[in-house]
Amino acid sequence: MKTGIFICHCGHNIKHTVDVKKLSNFFKKYPGVTVSNDYPFVCSEPGQDMISESIEKQGLDRVIIASCTPSLHGELFKDLLKKSDLNPFLLRRVSIREHCSWVGDDIEINTEKARRLILAGLYSAAHYVPLEEKRVEVTKSALIIGGGVSGLSAADFLSKMGMQVYLVEKEAELGGHVKNLKNIWPARKDGKSIIDEMIEELAGRENVEIFASTTISGFEGFFGNYEVTLDTLEGEKKLTAGGVIIAIGFSPFDPRIKPELQYGKDKRIITTLEFEHNADTLQLPEKPRVAILHCVGSRDEQIGKPYCSRVCCINALRVGEAIKDKYKDSYVESFYMDVRAHPRGGEEYFEDTQEKGVLFTRANVAEINPSLTGIVIRGEDTLFGEIFEREFDLVVLSIGMSPPVDNKLTASLLKITLDKDKFFMEAHIKLRPFDTAVKGIFIAGSCSGPKDVEESINHGRASAVKLFGFLNLGYAYVDPFISYVDPKRCSGCRMCEQACVAKAIKYDEEKRVVHVEEAACMGCGLCNATCPSSAISLKGYIDCMIDDEISAFMEAI
Amino acid sequence: MVSQTQTRVLTCIQCGKCTGSCPEAGRTPFNIRMLVRKKQFQSVVEESIPWYCTSCGACTLRCPRDVKPSEMIIEMRSALVENGAIPAAIQKALENTFVQKNPWGRSRAKRGAWFEKLDIEVPHISETESKRLLFTCCIQAYDPRCMVIPQNVATILTKGGVEFGVLGEEEACCGNEIRRVGESGLFEELQEENKAAFEEYGVKEIIALSPHCMNALKKEYGDLGIKIVHYTEVLAAMIKEGSIVPKGSFNKKVIYHDPCFLGKQNGIFDEPRSILNAIEGLEPLEFSRSRENSMCCEGGGGRMFFEVEATYQRNAEVRVQEAVEKEAEVIATSCPFCVMTLEDPATEKGITVKELSEILMEVL
Repeated sequence: MKTGIFICHCGHNIKHTVDVKKLSNFFKKYPGVTVSNDYPFVCSEPGQDMISESIEKQGLDRVIIASCTPSLHGELFKDLLKKSDLNPFLLRRVSIREHCSWVGDDIEINTEKARRLILAGLYSAAHYVPLEEKRVEVTKSALIIGGGVSGLSAADFLSKMGMQVYLVEKEAELGGHVKNLKNIWPARKDGKSIIDEMIEELAGRENVEIFASTTISGFEGFFGNYEVTLDTLEGEKKLTAGGVIIAIGFSPFDPRIKPELQYGKDKRIITTLEFEHNADTLQLPEKPRVAILHCVGSRDEQIGKPYCSRVCCINALRVGEAIKDKYKDSYVESFYMDVRAHPRGGEEYFEDTQEKGVLFTRANVAEINPSLTGIVIRGEDTLFGEIFEREFDLVVLSIGMSPPVDNKLTASLLKITLDKDKFFMEAHIKLRPFDTAVKGIFIAGSCSGPKDVEESINHGRASAVKLFGFLNLGYAYVDPFISYVDPKRCSGCRMCEQACVAKAIKYDEEKRVVHVEEAACMGCGLCNATCPSSAISLKGYIDCMIDDEISAFMEAI
Repeated sequence: MVSQTQTRVLTCIQCGKCTGSCPEAGRTPFNIRMLVRKKQFQSVVEESIPWYCTSCGACTLRCPRDVKPSEMIIEMRSALVENGAIPAAIQKALENTFVQKNPWGRSRAKRGAWFEKLDIEVPHISETESKRLLFTCCIQAYDPRCMVIPQNVATILTKGGVEFGVLGEEEACCGNEIRRVGESGLFEELQEENKAAFEEYGVKEIIALSPHCMNALKKEYGDLGIKIVHYTEVLAAMIKEGSIVPKGSFNKKVIYHDPCFLGKQNGIFDEPRSILNAIEGLEPLEFSRSRENSMCCEGGGGRMFFEVEATYQRNAEVRVQEAVEKEAEVIATSCPFCVMTLEDPATEKGITVKELSEILMEVL
């Protein structure tokens, strides 16, 4: 075996707390190692040249790169091996930055941990075999779940690019929450007109099929060819989609969860959404006294909503402005913890609202108690350091965004994960913010966390672009890590058949053993774990590889 | 080592939810938000200040950052207890509890005196089959005003055919208030003593007579594997099942005051009300601040043992005032401390304070 080990300094990042020289010297003498080098930036062009030169000149058959996390530069190094005519699956990445140098400051400990991790990689790589990426044919069609602004903007892009779009909406009408909003800031347009415009765009397109009052009842298959069952008003319908965009939005926070606010017990305590719906019919005196509460259902650990909902400050400003515009002699007081008017122009809008006479009191209102004459708000003005009890005619709760009601159902149906706040989780918050952990399934809009209208539209478009990139060629390559069966060990018990979610395991009645249909296998590993005879293995992840890796790390070899 | 409370204190955003919720804020020098701010910066806090806290729990229940301000107060008090810098009356209560296992310093041997003159038989827990324990509470075992509560409940349970037993002089103070005045060492001792008794007699269920005891047993004794309930839960269920039937009528307007340790801290709001609603002729009223928003009577957190420095209008007076305005004839509650704090101003205004069991006894 001819292994090349390349240890990256990552500039200062690894070098300052890992003794890279000591490491490269240690492996120089190690059996099976042909080359052991350290280098300032292995990912740089000269760094890459060094590796390809070693592969060609010294005939390396394994490459170990000890550097940053494997999820960074993964494709880069794979391509490098391909260019040097070495199978890319003979590459091993070892994370000595995230797992060693960034963890602590003790050089000795870090270096020892890095040495053992590389050693583990070396023993593991000894079992590597060349593998070929699997080419799959994909259906050029997209299933979009949710017909709000996000789903509509995704549908718009994909259909414009010529892709077949199936847009599924649970409600009878498209448009989600936005269709009910009035005078949306900063466009100063009603939500309905924004939605109507988007629907009109789609209406003439033959490659868009809209299913209203429809839910998803079945979801099977794998990337490129998902088999979807819809539950429509006309009954069940089946279709095949290459990829999916989930855009099922949010649920408005229900303030009943906070009993001290007495929501639901008095008609004069309403939410921003109710204000929006009933602004014209509200019964208020000539000189109304209106209180607006920020952060209701946001930034609150007690109710499991520690996050900022991002839209409610602007909504609170909109309510204040609307009251002031309608009633010149009104008394409007906004109770806030912080005013986070973060979108572009938001701070100026806050200032405008102040100029119009909305008063801002820094207080997280403690409780609301209806009295005979009005609604009493009690709290501490934290800037004066004084307790206040003031009476109002109307109290508007600026409610935050909660995860969509169908979050758990959708997550279990599509086998994707939720984050700690129960929104859909992205594959990587910075590098892959639109992807889920499942290939070909994307998320868009506020179902992955609170977003305003503009952000939701952009998010929908971005996910659509990503999905388009996946499906446009009509084929795609997927990882070759699939299961295979050793027929000599298979006892034909068929437990793996039960475990397989992809239905890739077939039983041969004559030979009384199972085999794996390669095209269907997702490489999830469930059959390996289930097999009582250890007859099934995953290509690229065999048991002895993992055993050796652990033994090497524990220095038990 | 930095305590968990201390790390949470550092996350405080000074929103004022705690102070707005605090029954002492604005009327006394006690500003809980300011104290958290001071704790963040390790600033000096005047020694008399932490003793205003009634441990009603509203701040901790509502804090959006889960800072647990009332727990921070307990830590502040602990430091004062350690230095001996505590009010003399608290010192006395602690000494009493250490010696006689009750803060009032009454003889431990007389803890069972309340049932001696009753017509019914009150057995020791060891003689029962159900191993259902009636946990008396110190103030109800000794104070002549509060002694009627265990007497009434024991009588009602017997009438309804619910078997129960008592520990008598083997029962020690639950320690709920002791922990809250900052004596965690003594609290642990009391806890161990009671736990040992529960274990010795194989207690399977505890009916706590005071919400304060129920709170300690339920939440601060660890997992006992014992079902713990407040007596109002048991009586409400008995009325529902029909094992006791209020026969007489009580033709009065009754306003119910939610005790903090029963209501906001343990979510028992409906059972006491359902007992009142089952009584014929009784017209139930509500305070404007009720249920989760109920105003603390200021009897908790050691405040039963001593008077704070500042003079100000007591919450009990505010409460009675509202009851008068709403034309209530009786203020009902289900906690001995609330009875004690409300009774003085109520008598002054000419209305009565009754513990729930007292009303129920009248109509059975």
